[in-house]
Amino acid sequence: MANTFQVDVVSPEATVWSGSATFVLAKTPDGELGIMANHEPLMGSLVTGAVIVEAEDGTRTTIGVHGGFLQVLENQVTLITDRAQVTSGGREEGRQVAEQLAAEAPPDEEPIEVPEETPLS
Amino acid sequence: MASAQLRDTRRRIRSVEAIKKITRAMELIATSRIPKAQARVNASKPYTAKLIEVIENVGAAGAGAKHRLLEQREIKTVGLLVVSSDRGLAGSYSSNVIRLAESRIRQLDREDKDVVLYAVGKKAQAYFRYRGFRIEGSYLGVTDTPGYGDARAVASTAVTAFATGRIDSVEVFFTRYQSAMTQTPTRVDLLPITPPEQTEGAKPTATYEFEPSPEEILDRLLPRYVEATVFNVLLEASASEHSARRRAMKAATDNAEELIRLLSVQANRARQAEITTAITEIVGGAEALAETRR
Repeated sequence: MANTFQVDVVSPEATVWSGSATFVLAKTPDGELGIMANHEPLMGSLVTGAVIVEAEDGTRTTIGVHGGFLQVLENQVTLITDRAQVTSGGREEGRQVAEQLAAEAPPDEEPIEVPEETPLS
Repeated sequence: MASAQLRDTRRRIRSVEAIKKITRAMELIATSRIPKAQARVNASKPYTAKLIEVIENVGAAGAGAKHRLLEQREIKTVGLLVVSSDRGLAGSYSSNVIRLAESRIRQLDREDKDVVLYAVGKKAQAYFRYRGFRIEGSYLGVTDTPGYGDARAVASTAVTAFATGRIDSVEVFFTRYQSAMTQTPTRVDLLPITPPEQTEGAKPTATYEFEPSPEEILDRLLPRYVEATVFNVLLEASASEHSARRRAMKAATDNAEELIRLLSVQANRARQAEITTAITEIVGGAEALAETRR
């Protein structure tokens, strides 16, 4: 398998998944996004949903993800998530897990708002 | 009949033994928590590392170093975040950090800068409140097992205060966990975020594609970065606290053992003296009786 790339899925608490993969499916605000080797450099945000990683050996891993960022650069895919959890089931279950993670997230887990006005000197 | 001295000594032995049981239990609890805390410190590191990497790339891609969290301005008011523990019995753990922070406060005072304090842990809060410092925010009950939500709460206070111009920089004082034996009180500058050095591996900029705009991404990344840094700080502090407590409680247990040994010697001596007195009395009495019979 020649067309592999490095994938790292990290959350603040742990490294959720790391290894060599052939395909990644993630969800961004614009819709679902499939990534294969030699994908164009990309920086995007993630939305709550299932992420599917197809590893080098052909096994598929479904990861429920809530919020975060996605970076594709030089055959390295990095998913920086707020919360993530690996599930055994398929895509539907991944989505459910992600929604559960979103529901568990305390309401204050909204991104910190940076106030606009600066009453400076 | 035990003499008064013997009874007293025995009572002390019993009380020291009871204390020893408590300190031993606390030592064991702390010992069991260290590996867990340490594992959490390590587990949180990849996230921060990746975040820094991404921020560097976004910065290199020309998103511009013009975010308000990157803004270096003239420093008039400094926010100090002091991470201590909620409970005592951890040796000099809290006092070391507090001392470091206080010397920094004095230095800032000499430079005519205002100081705003944020305290994590009851010890820092109590210390500074007692000395009449103004504490803008305190976070209690987080140091044992800090969660990401706690870090978020602390970070958001700091970010808001910084962004509104209430404070011009944020410094964090905490105990860095270097190894099981060494933990050092450390200062880390949190805000403004210092733009990471442009490394040689600066990635190609033109081909970078952003899903929302670079500004938007940066706008969401940077607060995340502050959160992750605070989270790391809290986790390290927590690991340090457990180590410090383990050490303090081990010393206490050892001292109790030594004390019990000394008191036992004393008790035995008192008991022997008592027996000797009794024998002398009996022998004396018997002789006196034999005397009269003769």
